[in-house]
Formats: sequence, structure tokens, C-alpha cells
Amino acid sequence: MTTATVTKFPEKSPYQPDTAEGILRAYEAFVAEIDDQPQWLADLRKSSLKEFKRRGIPTPRLEGWKFTNIWPLVKAYGDKIGQIKVSHDNVDGVIITPLLQMLDQDWVKAALSEDMPPGQHNTENTLWHLGNIYLRNGIVIDVPANTEIKKSLELLTSAGEGAFFTDRMVIRLQKNARLTIVEDHWGKGAFWKNRLTHIVLEPGAKLTHIRIQDDSDKSVYTQTTNVHVGRDAVYDAVVLCSGAALSRNQVRVTLDDTCASCHLNSATLLRGEQLGDTTILVEHRAPHCQSNQNIRTVLDGRAHGVFQGKVHVHQPAQKTDGFQMSRALLLSEGSEMDTKPELEIYADDVKCSHGATTGQLDQEPLFYMQSRGIEEKTAKALLIQAFVAEVFENIEDEGLKTALERKVEAWLKL
Amino acid sequence: MVQIKNLHASIAGKEILKGLTLDIPDGQVHAIMGPNGSGKSTLSYVIAGREGYEVTGGEILLDGQNIMAMAPEERAAAGLFLAFQYPVEIPGVAMTMFMKTAINGIRKQRGEGEIDALDFLKLMKKKQAELGMSDEMMKRAVNVGFSGGEKKRNEVLQMAMLEPRMAVLDETDSGLDIDALKVVADGVNKLRSDKRSFLVITHYQRLLDYIKPDVVHVMAAGKIVKTGGPELALELEKTGYAEYAA
Ligand SMILES: Nc1ncnc2c1ncn2[C@@H]1O[C@H](COP(=O)(O)OP(=O)(O)OP(=O)(O)O)[C@@H](O)[C@H]1O
Ligand SMILES: [Mg+2]
Repeated sequence: MTTATVTKFPEKSPYQPDTAEGILRAYEAFVAEIDDQPQWLADLRKSSLKEFKRRGIPTPRLEGWKFTNIWPLVKAYGDKIGQIKVSHDNVDGVIITPLLQMLDQDWVKAALSEDMPPGQHNTENTLWHLGNIYLRNGIVIDVPANTEIKKSLELLTSAGEGAFFTDRMVIRLQKNARLTIVEDHWGKGAFWKNRLTHIVLEPGAKLTHIRIQDDSDKSVYTQTTNVHVGRDAVYDAVVLCSGAALSRNQVRVTLDDTCASCHLNSATLLRGEQLGDTTILVEHRAPHCQSNQNIRTVLDGRAHGVFQGKVHVHQPAQKTDGFQMSRALLLSEGSEMDTKPELEIYADDVKCSHGATTGQLDQEPLFYMQSRGIEEKTAKALLIQAFVAEVFENIEDEGLKTALERKVEAWLKL
Repeated sequence: MVQIKNLHASIAGKEILKGLTLDIPDGQVHAIMGPNGSGKSTLSYVIAGREGYEVTGGEILLDGQNIMAMAPEERAAAGLFLAFQYPVEIPGVAMTMFMKTAINGIRKQRGEGEIDALDFLKLMKKKQAELGMSDEMMKRAVNVGFSGGEKKRNEVLQMAMLEPRMAVLDETDSGLDIDALKVVADGVNKLRSDKRSFLVITHYQRLLDYIKPDVVHVMAAGKIVKTGGPELALELEKTGYAEYAA
């Protein structure tokens, strides 16, 4: 029997169980509609329900949520559970199946049952429980061994107005398979979307995972991605996040075997009252693995950026190469950036570095450009584009890279 | 063409320019020489419209129009150009992109359409060749990884591309080897015309062998203290600035 882990927590609780009630108002009606599910899933749902009721929505009293207060923005979404629709073209060689048809597969079952991210990162994730409670929508993407998919798989996620949506993506690249996924989010109106993604990269596989989140600035976007990277496999992620009133991007990458690597590149562009939170945990569990985090945040208006990144090097992970860099650009007085970089190292032969900077646009290049006849607004835009561009450097597909750069340009013109 | 009248400017509460007056007619080359810290670069920045300077008196006229209230880009569109003493590196912005944006920025302000992409490339190639700069350098980010001399050449390249009415060259000769000095001076001389003026700031008479000035000024402690012909530069080479000490 699979159940979610039940953890004990101290007397003086940082949780707010009372919030659960509101969010769960739609639960009875929701389960009544579910007629056919394997016992293990029913159990998982039930134990997640129990956990969620004990903890509720994460509060800023939790270490991993201290900069991001989601309750005020999500409390309105308890009454209606919507359905997420993911549309995509068919790409030869990629097997895409609705999640509910894959529940008898052991690997899918294992993926759904794994808590993410775990409590030890102190990013206590009751959003995962919430995903389990309302688990119904989702797709499974599988690429057979030794298949290199040239065409990128584009996934457009749409959600209607005024509801809470949650779905699961379970992705597996078998040995030496290669795939590029482009995840597009541009929902309109007010909603709360909570996506959970589980990715398994078998030895030698490489996934390029591009995520463009431009949901309406009335929406809430929370997503948790849990990635397992096998021997010699590569997880290459590029995020461009400019949407939602509040977004929380949680990523845990576990480098499970020798020479696994990940590159987590992210650009977050925010203005107005937006909040964008990127919280990453990279776990080095094997020797000779490499991880790289490059985070760029551009903040205007009264926007608030958050980056929490941790590299956890376990004792066997000798010869680890871990890098983490967060750079934020404040374009206005009212904007704000919080960063919390962390290294936790238990191996002795490792190369790890991290850094975080928050600053404003340099005046010198600005004046230099203006003195050449470039208008101030254009000069600023060029500098901001240059600041962000590094995040896209790894993308091999020139068309995709240009498309992302164009999106940054478009954001700057707003 | 350019008239600077009794200009007073301070930075951080400290007065640097103390009543500077200068008149540069169309087609002339004026040189300014003067000790370190006398305010030559400050003058060039105030002409170009850099922020942070408080102009407490006087004015600068370009073709009779007061430019003091204009933004730097507006001054560029009006025909001003400054070759920086210390050219600025702009990581992530490629030279060609930068140059094209500059040309179009100026054209837009003048109410002209954008430059044809092919015309732009042709123009760029031509000017590059004249200044001995490779295509590879133009693909790099502005001034990033350029040697000191290459940066100065790049200033002259930009000037040649933008074809200003009035160019201020702030120590464009410093850091250049003898061959580069000739290339840069040729670049400037090619642009000389009866419609264009130059203000050449330098510490060395040698540059003035190549770019023959019409007038030489000595600047000390924020003012023009002496004005003469080309022979003044030769004289300074021998005597130094001792007699102008503030
Ligand atoms: N930001 C600043 N704050 C305070 N003082 C400044 C500032 N910038 C320049 N100054 C001072 O103004 C004076 C004039 O400087 P400027 O750079 O104009 O001299 P210069 O004549 O160009 O010298 P050089 O021949 O060395 O290039 C110097 O004393 C310098 O220290
Ligand atoms: Mg100077």
C-alpha cells in the first residue's frame, strides 16, 4: 500500500490547518464523481487529505515559505475544481497517454507516490498533497530508449476562469532518449493552477525543458517539479516567467548516478504587484555530477522576487561540481528581491560556488548608449535584454532561442 | 557652430568648470591641452549631457540653439558626438546591434525612417575597413575584450558611422601605438569638412602633427587660460603648464 508520509511536527505549529477547510469545500462533490480508481490511489488520496487537513496551505511561518504568502490569493478558490486541458501536436516517437490510463504501470505509480520535495528542504509542500487529493487530470509522456526526437513537443496548458486546477505530468525518457518539451502557460482571467511534474531520465537521456509562464496577472501559478537524473543523463531547464499575480516555481533535481548533470536557467520578469518565487533544491547523490543554476530576476513597479536555492551534496557525491548564481535587477524603488542561497556539503572533494547580487542598471553604459543617440527607454531595454540573455544561451534550437528573446522584448515594450 | 559661454559646472558640490568660454566656428578643429584634473573630461561630459553635473551658470549653443535642457540622445540627434576618454564596456550588446540601434535612434528623432539593413551593413563594412577593424570584433559585445587601442579605434568608428556636426575627442590618442595613431588621425581627417567641427582634447603635441588644429587652447583649473595657434602646442611641449598653475 502506498501512502504519503505522515510527519510529526512540533507543538507550536507553523501550519494553518484552518485554511484546509476552505480549499476542500469542493472535495465531496469531486470524489463523488470519481468512479474507478485503483486502491493505491484511493489510499494516496486519503492520506494526502489527512496531511493537508493537518497543515493547510503553507504559511510564511515555514522556513521555506517565509517570503511568499499565498493564502490571501488562493483562499477564494475552494469551491470549484476545474479541469486543465493540455493540448499538443503529436510528435513521432513520443508516447503521450492520459494519466488515468497509466495507473497500472509501476513506474507511473512510483512517480505519483513520491513526495516532492521532501521535508528536509524545509519547503514543506502541501501543494503536493493538494495535487494528490484532486488527482484526475494529467498526462504521461514516454520516449523509448535510443530515440532522439528532433521536433520539440509543445504543450499548451489552458485553464478556465474562477477555479482551482491541478494536474500531473509524468515524463520518462528511457536510455539515451532525447527530447525537448516546451510548456506554454497563458491562461486568461483569475484562477489558481497547481501543476505537479515528475521526470525520470534514464542513463544517457537528455531532456530540454522549456517553460514559459505568462498567465494572467490575476492568476496564481504554483508548480512543483521533481526530477531524477540517471547516469550520464542531462536535465536542461529554461524558464521564462512573467505571468501570474503570484507564482511559485519549486524544483527538486536529484542527481542519482555518476556523471548526471542539470542546468537550471531561469528568467523572471515582474512588474506591478506581482510576486515570483523560484525555489530549487539540487541533490547530489553520486560522484562526478554537475549542477548549474543561473537565475535572473528583473523587477519593476512594486514587484517582489524570491529565490531560494540549495545545493545538497551527499557524502558519496565526491567530485561534485555545483554552481549557483542569482542576479536581480531592480528597475524601481518599490521593487524588492529576497534571496536565500544555501550549500549543504557532506562530501570533502567538491567544487561548489554560489553567489547572489541585487542591483540597478549601470549608469555608465546607459549614458554611453544615449550619447550615441539611443533613447533612454531603448537603451534600458537593451541592457535588460543583455542581462537576461545568458539564461537562453544553452538552447541549441535557434528558433526557440529567438522566440524566447522576442518574448523578453515584448515584455519590455509593455 | 558651438559656443560655450561662461560655463560653470560642479559635481558633488565641487566646482570644476569655473567660467569657461569657447567658440568653435564651422569647419574648425580646436585643441584643448591642460594639466590632469583641470576639467577637460568634465567639459566633454557636460557638452554631451551626462547626468550628475550641476550647471550653475552659462550655456552651450549648438548652431545658436541652447542645448542645456536636452537629453544626451537629443544632443546626439542634433549632431553632437563624444569620443570617450574611457570607452564603456556593454556586455551582452553586440557592436553591430548597438550601432544600428544608434543610427536608427538618431534617424527616428530626426523624423527619418529606419536605415535599410543592407545599406547599414555596407556602411559598416566600409568604415570598419578604413579603421582596420575586423568583422569578428563587430560581433563581440561593445568594447568587451577590446584592447585599449581597439577601444579608441572603436570610438572613431562610431563617429564615422554617425557623422556628427560637432565631435569632441577626449584623449582619443592615449593608449594608441604609432601606427594606430595614424589610422585614427586619418579617420578623423577624412571626416573634416567645412560643415563639421572638432574639439580635440590631448596631452600630446604628436596627435596635432596628424590632426592639424586651427586653434589651440590651454585649460587650467576649469577655465581657458590661453588661446593661440598650432605653435602654442609646441611651446607647451617644452615649457609644461607651470606658468598656468592655479
Ligand atoms: N564624480 C566626481 N566626484 C568628485 N570629483 C570629481 C568627480 N569627477 C571628476 N571629479 C574631479 O573633477 C576634476 C576634473 O576632472 P576631469 O576628469 O574633468 O579632469 P581632466 O582634465 O579630464 O583630467 P585628465 O587629464 O587626467 O583626464 C578632478 O579633480 C576630478 O577629481
Ligand atoms: Mg580627462
